[in-house]
Amino acid sequence: MSALQPRSRFTWERFRIPLLLAPALSVILLLFGGGLLLTLSQSFGYLPIIGKTEFSLAAWQAIFQRGEFWQSLFLTLWIGGVATLTSTILAILCALTLRKQFRGKKAITFLFQLNIPIPHIVGAIGILLLFSQSGLIARLANLAGMINDPAQFPALVNDRYAFGIIAEYVWKETCFIGTIVLATLQSVGEDYENAAASLGANRWQRFRYVTLPLIMPGVLTASILVFAFAFGAFEIPFLLGRRFPSALSVLAWRSYTDTDLALRPEAMAMSLFIALVSTGLILLYMTISRKLVRE
Amino acid sequence: MKRFSKGVAIALIIFGVLAPFIPLLIWSVARRWYFPAILPTEWSLRGWSYAFSNASRLPQALRQSFAVSTTASLLAILIGMPAGRVLGLYKFRGKTLVEFLILAPTIVPAFAVVMGIHVLFIRYGLADTLSGVIIVHLIPTLPYVTLVLAGVFANYNVDYESQARSLGANTWQVIRYVMLPAIYPGVIVAGMFAFIISWSQYLLTLMIGGGRVLTLPLLLFSFASSGDNNVTAALSIIFILPAIALLVITSRYLTGRNASLGATRGN
Amino acid sequence: MKKKIFTLLFVGLMTIFMTACAGAIAPPAPDGAEDTHAEDSDSHDDTEMAEDDAHGDDEDHGDEDMADADMMGPAGYESWDAVLAEAEGQTVNWFMWGGADNINAWVNGPVAETLLADYGVTLNMVPINDTAEAVNKVLAEKEAGQDDNGSVDMVWINGANFLTMRQGDLLFGGWSEGLPNYAFVDASDPSVQNDFGTPVDGYESPYGKAQFVMIYDSADVETPPATIPELVEWIKANPGKFTYPAAPDFTGNAFVRHICYEATGGYEQFLGEFDQALFDEKFGACWDLLNEIEPFLWREGEYPESDARIKDLLANGEVHFDMDYNPGSAGNLIEDGVYPDTVRTFVFETGTIANTHFVGIPYNSPNKAGAMVLANVLLSPEAQLQKADPAVWGDLPVLDPALMSEADAAAFDALPRHPATLSTAELSANRLPELQADWTTAIEQGWIENVLEN
Repeated sequence: MSALQPRSRFTWERFRIPLLLAPALSVILLLFGGGLLLTLSQSFGYLPIIGKTEFSLAAWQAIFQRGEFWQSLFLTLWIGGVATLTSTILAILCALTLRKQFRGKKAITFLFQLNIPIPHIVGAIGILLLFSQSGLIARLANLAGMINDPAQFPALVNDRYAFGIIAEYVWKETCFIGTIVLATLQSVGEDYENAAASLGANRWQRFRYVTLPLIMPGVLTASILVFAFAFGAFEIPFLLGRRFPSALSVLAWRSYTDTDLALRPEAMAMSLFIALVSTGLILLYMTISRKLVRE
Repeated sequence: MKRFSKGVAIALIIFGVLAPFIPLLIWSVARRWYFPAILPTEWSLRGWSYAFSNASRLPQALRQSFAVSTTASLLAILIGMPAGRVLGLYKFRGKTLVEFLILAPTIVPAFAVVMGIHVLFIRYGLADTLSGVIIVHLIPTLPYVTLVLAGVFANYNVDYESQARSLGANTWQVIRYVMLPAIYPGVIVAGMFAFIISWSQYLLTLMIGGGRVLTLPLLLFSFASSGDNNVTAALSIIFILPAIALLVITSRYLTGRNASLGATRGN
Repeated sequence: MKKKIFTLLFVGLMTIFMTACAGAIAPPAPDGAEDTHAEDSDSHDDTEMAEDDAHGDDEDHGDEDMADADMMGPAGYESWDAVLAEAEGQTVNWFMWGGADNINAWVNGPVAETLLADYGVTLNMVPINDTAEAVNKVLAEKEAGQDDNGSVDMVWINGANFLTMRQGDLLFGGWSEGLPNYAFVDASDPSVQNDFGTPVDGYESPYGKAQFVMIYDSADVETPPATIPELVEWIKANPGKFTYPAAPDFTGNAFVRHICYEATGGYEQFLGEFDQALFDEKFGACWDLLNEIEPFLWREGEYPESDARIKDLLANGEVHFDMDYNPGSAGNLIEDGVYPDTVRTFVFETGTIANTHFVGIPYNSPNKAGAMVLANVLLSPEAQLQKADPAVWGDLPVLDPALMSEADAAAFDALPRHPATLSTAELSANRLPELQADWTTAIEQGWIENVLEN
């Protein structure tokens, strides 16, 4: 939808685009790109400015040989994948519900956006107080006569399947993706669907061939952001996870803050690995889902 | 029946959104609230009175949090707006690459970047300072601001600018009287996003601020991992209030016609 | 029109916050004269450290330091007054664990107020989750070449963290025994001379004492187990009702050491330098015992991330035991309404581990004089008395009553004791020493490899 500016006669206008892009790009290239390179360089134990001039693959070898690393990687993939999938599906369902007219729609739509600005740490604390074995839900289960000791309530935080971590992401990201889908749906209106209905399409067909392609670009972007976040976040797995195995980010942070500085290259290698894996998976996901949408 | 199921769905959404706040609110005023009591047997304002006492360092944390988040979001808007304009309005060679570069920080976890920078920040005295923290907060905020603004500019009609120019307006006047009035709802949304992202940062602030820059998330985190539910709950509520206030102020710009975030990649 | 108002409001708010916050953490203005003085003392310290390394753990060296200190004031300062003069106007960034509201309240309240009112020194408490964070920070600063403008002025420290800082030459030395209030400390007390077997040598100043206690809810457990074998029996008979925090939590590490003292046939054999062969030979029995009880622990063998989580578990009856390094903490938590009234503490008949905690000053702190003044305030009978009051904190004092005025000694005796807190007599009758820090580090690593990851 981009408008094309008529070619300008002034010579400085030829540099207009690079000039306007320069501030943002230089910040990103210097701060982000430069930082990434520094991390890479230090993962090889190489940083002449502080007198480290030897290049070594030891840190990378060390992390790949650590059993805990692979367990953590698997756990992190599980968390990111399940959290993204669940919140995407729930978000679409919520948006489809909330687009309809009903009493109090304005208030409820506002409520739906309410937890977008809530920091994840607070969400994590809320989930902990809600889902722990002596949390509010366990107490309700006790009231209902379903359990009489906390130990009978299933372990839902700091647990094996990372339920608590996933629940926090789903709680927050459903609203994030849902708001984007809702905005798309409302700006498009129901004309296309009505047209499809008049041509005899059933509910599922209308959703699959009309609504879904319309909302797909927004869903795609949002779910990528959610996956990348869930894959690399620290606070939530730190508060709601288990001591072993822990999420990759927590493992990397533990190595980074160890009183043995020799572990820092390993921390750098692990963080880069997180970055690599999440970028790779996102590229894969984009290719596949673009293809699916086209079909 | 259909009406009923819709009602149930809406009730579920409301409950789902609000559920985690319920124990937070109760814990902030509870005392001796043990399993299996549904409601506390005693009430106490200990959490709140601690939060508002000198001991908690809350005023300092609030001040520094606001300083970091407002400055980081304003800087992100200043830096991101020109790029947003270009990405929203023009087609040019290498646009996909530029988009990719600007998107990259949203995909790569910021701590992977900041771990590398940290040593230089220590060496050149930027570690443990507000400015150092503000600079690293640009990494997660700038991409969002640029992308939101790109979406805003995509719906912006530049023709008004040439009309103003033909009437003799200079560049500043065009920006001031034509562009800004047309895009400010989007700028506010972008600012809100940036503010909230920065407001919630824990790890970057801890790494570069090293505890010396004490923002609210750091204060909250040291209590969240200490198991004092009363203080943690009170601090949590204080932590989310500004974010909610900001949402209330800006919500009118967020809904309906301004589907900025979705539109950015939608073209 | 309405929209315009909102924009104005938004921009206005931001501007107000910005201006209100400008210079919020501006560093204290450096005074030229003071700076040179600080550098002098730094260089003095550097040579001293080099000397110290050459001597190794020469015991006489500590005495020399003290003699020096008596004549000239601590760490090469001409006199204590010179320290006070330099300290005035400085801000001390004290990195300490920040998860207890009562400790924070005492530090940010009375301590900070005394420091500012009496000495013109500002205290900035920096809350951290783990002391290792501060150690790591100083290490990173040293690596980056930040040798004279470090960010940490004081750390609350002991054990392995102290050893790490000493080995990395990260601590300022030769000062603690020269503090005026060090006169109230029994300098011959081994628990003040050594920190987990590492000679203190003036590199840190004693701050408080701790002794490990077990905590139980008397509503659930009538008579607590008197020995570790009895505890093991109890754990097996009551599956799911016991757990201990995972390393690196220091309380969890201490619990593991108690089990190992028992399982390996006594701590006496490990009192010397670390011996890898002996460690490998003896500690297998300890891992076996810990693995043996693992399936009977909370959630069939889960280890909470921190001791704080166990407090919550005990309060809600998820488990029936907890543990703490501060014998008075259970009483405090009852008063705060975190624990039920029925919670009590006990120590094993074979004793529990006791140690001393200290404050240290990093080598690159720009506010060393201020930090010394703070350390001296912390050692004062007034501060030690306040801190020992269960209503404030309940931390055990490091001062020797015999060296204090009679009135002060009587005030310590008159301190109230919470019913959940054991008497000093009971505690001191059942005291075990800490091993050297190399041992404790090896035990922590051993637990992670053989129990946690097994």
